[in-house]
Amino acid sequence: MFDKQVFGVYNGGMISEEKLHILTECAKYDVSCSSSGSARKNAGGMGNGYIAGCCHSFTPDGRCISLLKILLSNDCVFDCKYCMSRRASDVPRATATPDEICELVVDFYKRNYIEGLFLSSAVHVSPNHTMEQLLLTVKKLRTEYNFHGYIHVKGIPKADPMYAFEAAKYADRMSYNIELPSEKSLKLLAPQKSRESLLVPMRALAKEKQIFKEEKRKGYFLPAGQTTQMIVGASPEPDGQILRLSQSLYRANGLKRVYFSSYTPVVQDSLLPSVPAAAIREHRLYQADWLLRFYGFSAEEIADEGENLSLELDPKCAWALKNMHLFPVEVNRAPLEVLLRVPGIGARSAYKIMQARRYTNLTFEDLKKMRVVLKRARHFLTAGGKFYGENRQEAVRGLLVAAEKPATAVQLSIFTGMTEAAQSALYGEL
Amino acid sequence: MIYFFDGSKEAFLCALARAFCDDEAILTSTNAQLSMGQQSIFVAADGARAAQIEQRLLGFDKNCMHDLDLLLRSGDAWRDAAALRYFKFLAEKKRPVRDMLSEEAVIAATECMRRVSYEVHRFHGFVRFLECASGALYAPISPNHDISDLLVPHFRARLPQCPFVIHDVKRKKAAVYDGAHTFVAPLARAEVALAADEKAWQSLWKNYYASVNIPSRERLKQMRGYMPVRYWKFMPEKQLSPSSPC
Ligand code: SF4
Repeated sequence: MFDKQVFGVYNGGMISEEKLHILTECAKYDVSCSSSGSARKNAGGMGNGYIAGCCHSFTPDGRCISLLKILLSNDCVFDCKYCMSRRASDVPRATATPDEICELVVDFYKRNYIEGLFLSSAVHVSPNHTMEQLLLTVKKLRTEYNFHGYIHVKGIPKADPMYAFEAAKYADRMSYNIELPSEKSLKLLAPQKSRESLLVPMRALAKEKQIFKEEKRKGYFLPAGQTTQMIVGASPEPDGQILRLSQSLYRANGLKRVYFSSYTPVVQDSLLPSVPAAAIREHRLYQADWLLRFYGFSAEEIADEGENLSLELDPKCAWALKNMHLFPVEVNRAPLEVLLRVPGIGARSAYKIMQARRYTNLTFEDLKKMRVVLKRARHFLTAGGKFYGENRQEAVRGLLVAAEKPATAVQLSIFTGMTEAAQSALYGEL
Repeated sequence: MIYFFDGSKEAFLCALARAFCDDEAILTSTNAQLSMGQQSIFVAADGARAAQIEQRLLGFDKNCMHDLDLLLRSGDAWRDAAALRYFKFLAEKKRPVRDMLSEEAVIAATECMRRVSYEVHRFHGFVRFLECASGALYAPISPNHDISDLLVPHFRARLPQCPFVIHDVKRKKAAVYDGAHTFVAPLARAEVALAADEKAWQSLWKNYYASVNIPSRERLKQMRGYMPVRYWKFMPEKQLSPSSPC
């Protein structure tokens, strides 16, 4: 009935348990697991894209498994201080063959364990050699194994850009990780990398994608775009600086996502903090990032360049408190972009309000029935001219902080591994 | 008056017609709500009558049968009440009411439908196929709502050359794709001969599951929130040794 040949030649053999363990153990600190943004069609063989992304399992740390996150090799010639695969570290090493990876993906995918592959690698032998192997693997997976599910490939800094351009024809998404928020910290902690070695290929890929679109070329070129990741708390940059960098990556480089990864000490080094970064900080950065991407805020509105985000209050509340003169707004009249700036009103509530008010004049009772959470919003809204909030700034601040407590306790740093759809549900009520 | 019906769309429409002018009406396809002293009646499905009512309702809202289909798939106890209120409201307003999101009738039905659709979305990820010796795939599931056939298009689109069976063991029915057609069939128990390397792939998957976890950031409550325990039964990665904490 079901012919294995349909999915190509199987000649790699099953990867060993030990190799799998080594190569995934090192890949797990990469935050991005999102499988969203690609609607790649099935063209015979197996697999397609699921535009909203899909979670297949959740690990005990609360993160989603969407993609098989694996390294081609953890045998690195670079020496980044914070990384357990760095050359100087004494850990078991392994390198997989492209066929081992391909078979693993196809067999996991068929059983619906995963939505696709997130393929990364340490710098094995040299940047060019590594990038060549990554390219070979994804090309094989698409053309020989006939796989059309999601593929995310990590770009290796300092490799010949031709490899990246070629890989982009097969991958749905690529990412060069910025790693650290400033050139200075990068020099100190990742001496073989430089800001330019990461930004230049990013820009080149964005430009190439633009040309691909303009010339209406056949096939695919990174349909789900590019993302990046930076470590927060390993170096001293404040949130305001991190957010400005994120904003410029979105605006100038057309990135789809900037991920933040709370620094966790896996390595002892005098240049590195010995304590992990507070999960709440990462959480606040993601909230602020959300405001940048979906709520029409700019980094300048959210935090001054040298400033950190409030740990006590979410960034939208903090902004609203500084701008009390703009509130309250009338729920029956305020335009969408204004509703979205009300603390506690997220995209979903705003949508419900916009729909419902076409048929009736909404009262606070209606809002409650519609499960619009008013704990925070009531200080910033009127409904039919009625206001039930506080308007003294200090009192509001106290109430907002109190309203924040339960949410923060459960939501610490959970946003990192989920699909964007799941995230939007969570952030919905920001 | 309590109106019993068999849970089918036709019987629902007939019951709706009888219950329409009865403000006290309770519509139910289970007997859980049967209260003493209240009169009850069993409304049988009448195809011709149901078709008439369907036409009237479609005149008010051409998408409303899609809503009814979702509502009647729900395994929640309150779904019949929600469906009755929603369709009464629709018949009163004589126009689509879907967006009247501050109306109780709409709020309840929307929530009921959302729960069904959400479970479909979840199962796109949570279904676990076993490979059979024949090469076909078999997935036992035990969802809250009656969704097995709603899962088929998703998997058919990505595995067009591979026959598969999604078996709702709770409702004893299976949604089948035979490589060309899809259909639903009653199925109480399935005998499955597994492919020779099935256990080995499961073992690699469990290994992967354990390796990507970051133990120092354990958040079990969250994991259970996203992936409730009731779904674990058929997930190889959750069949760990008894001593394991999660
Ligand atoms: S390049 Fe740096 S971060 Fe990447 S594996 Fe090597 S040492 Fe680790």
